[in-house]
Amino acid sequence: MSQETKQMTMAAAITDAMDIMLEQDPKVVIYGEDVGNLGGVYRITTGLQKKHGEDRVFDSPLTESGIIGTAIGAGAVGMRPVVELQFGGFMMPAFDQIFSHVSRYRYRSRGRYNVPMVVRFPVGGGTGLLEQHADSPEAHLAHLPGIKIAYPSNPYDAKGLLISAIEDDDPVFFFETIVRYRDPKIRMDVPTGYYNIPLGKARIARQGKDITIIGYGGMMQNIEMAAEAAASAGIECEVIDLRTIVPLDIETILESVSKTGRVIIVHEASKTAGVGAEIATQIIEKAFYELEAPIERVCGFDTMPSPFNSLNHLSRPEAHHIAAAIQKVLSA
Amino acid sequence: MANTRRTTKKGTADQANEAMFAGSMPVLSELTPFQILAPDGKPVREDLIPDLDIVEEMYRQMSRLRHLDDKFMLLYKSQKLGNYAQFGGQEASQIGSAMALDQKLDFMAPMYRNTAAMITHGWSMKQAIMYWRGHPEGWRIPNDLNILPIIISIPGQIVHAAGVAMGLQMQKTGGIAMTYIGEGGTSQGDFHIGVNFAAARKAPAVFIIENNGWAISVPRKVQSGVDHLMRRAEGYGIPGYLVDGNDILAVHTVAKKAVQDARDGKGPSLIEQMTYRVRPHTTGDDPKAYRDENADPKFWAEQRDPIARVRQFLTDEKRWNEDREVAMMTEITQEFQAALDAADATPAPDPKALLEYVFVNPPQQILEQQEILAQRILEVNT
Repeated sequence: MSQETKQMTMAAAITDAMDIMLEQDPKVVIYGEDVGNLGGVYRITTGLQKKHGEDRVFDSPLTESGIIGTAIGAGAVGMRPVVELQFGGFMMPAFDQIFSHVSRYRYRSRGRYNVPMVVRFPVGGGTGLLEQHADSPEAHLAHLPGIKIAYPSNPYDAKGLLISAIEDDDPVFFFETIVRYRDPKIRMDVPTGYYNIPLGKARIARQGKDITIIGYGGMMQNIEMAAEAAASAGIECEVIDLRTIVPLDIETILESVSKTGRVIIVHEASKTAGVGAEIATQIIEKAFYELEAPIERVCGFDTMPSPFNSLNHLSRPEAHHIAAAIQKVLSA
Repeated sequence: MANTRRTTKKGTADQANEAMFAGSMPVLSELTPFQILAPDGKPVREDLIPDLDIVEEMYRQMSRLRHLDDKFMLLYKSQKLGNYAQFGGQEASQIGSAMALDQKLDFMAPMYRNTAAMITHGWSMKQAIMYWRGHPEGWRIPNDLNILPIIISIPGQIVHAAGVAMGLQMQKTGGIAMTYIGEGGTSQGDFHIGVNFAAARKAPAVFIIENNGWAISVPRKVQSGVDHLMRRAEGYGIPGYLVDGNDILAVHTVAKKAVQDARDGKGPSLIEQMTYRVRPHTTGDDPKAYRDENADPKFWAEQRDPIARVRQFLTDEKRWNEDREVAMMTEITQEFQAALDAADATPAPDPKALLEYVFVNPPQQILEQQEILAQRILEVNT
């Protein structure tokens, strides 16, 4: 691992990971809408086409189903496609390819054809953009066997997880929180060279003994703000950043729950049948008697992103919503 | 391919054409499907008749797989096979095109009705039997077989084929991708998406529409207002061909050209092969519920059979006779029986296969469920 580091935003760290993998593995190709000349709508592939050539980094026709479906085929014959969707909310035209094929292709051929693709896309609200520019469809994917989900919260993790995702022989859906792409508060020193972070290993973002708060992606900052505020009131929160939803690091969760007995799960996506429901159920299945209070979920409402997010600030979990949940669980 | 106006002993080309389009087609068109052998076995394009060894190979392969299709129906009826999608009557369409491929270089992206195309591209009869029995060793795709998994929810394979073609193009292997779809499947969005994507990138792919007139009970005219589906090729900027899909020489000639063009970097082609689904949609389907079996199906089975046409031609060429037919059928019967015996002798599937190959590196929940499965297997076995 290179010891040299550089201050990077989340956006820069993701670009860096792709640059390194393009350099390292000739089978890696990057394509999607606008990713070539423009560098993607969020400029995450900026400079990659110029540096690595149009055969390695190129624009595709405007078709999510085409982008993901062709990545299955190209992956089957030895390529390692890293494709971009413009927004998580634009994934649904490709959902037949994802549900029927990405998830099942390896199983269907009994291992002859892996699906080594990575699908990257921006997610989450707080941006003031149009409808379908603020979704977070992790639960839709988590229900499908055969698919891995990475959802990084900071530049260091984003780079290390993306490198692992590209190297992984299973399909990985890579969630990138829009409001964190260039958030100066999470700029940090990131090694400039190659390193990876294994998929399926959660990060203890903060140690504590009173209550476990579980989250991922852009929500981590809100959770940590709430934990910080709680600390000044003498409450020690243990904060777990999942990093990946599939594989789920249930061991780290259970270890923490056995220590605290109290759990809050936070996600921006809508609450019902969300990832929080799965985590809560697994805790109940495996650590029911460790619990000292009902599990609390702080999630988005079961509604849609409003146009230009004019109303969704009332839906997205903020630090004070999480703080209120901490009070509730502790007083239960 | 030039459109060929012709006159046969039995009537004008237009009459023949009208018969070919009878019933399920929306409108008559000025386009005539490309043809080398007329339905009566007479060459309409002497100049395009290949070496008779090749014609004989085609005849043998069609006979061999018709026998398999017949046997599969019987196996289904005796509950020794699952619900199977028959291709009988479409042998020329599948075999003629698949024979244009190089088994080492080229990939095939099949759908459920392509058993004949797949066996022609190297799938074994034994494995075909096991696949249609649901045996995991039937789904396993051997490493030396360049066939993608059979797609049930059409038309995903069209987009996969475009991706395979891109992948082969990027790696400069010289290989191409061939894929199939019925005329019904062309109404799906992914048909457009896959063909368009491949065309935009000049990827080496050959898209074949096997127009057999029926999507289960829905006739061709319901699918689209266009007279010939191959006309969509123009909208993609690629060549489109209309071919008599029951004339294996015509199918093979056009497929070879499309394959060569793809290999030469000229991009994909769209081929519409006019054939007919003489048999039910699957072994579980009863077409009497929605069509008159004595009308079009009988006409196509009796007047347009792709095997009878070649047999007549080879007989006329003094290349075939009853003795050779009997000898061939003995061989074919024995070959199928040997494949069936081998499939029957394969041990029952290990139920552990249920949770294998979901992931390359399975996460915790799969490992937990594998333990539960192992327990259930133990309970069943004791």
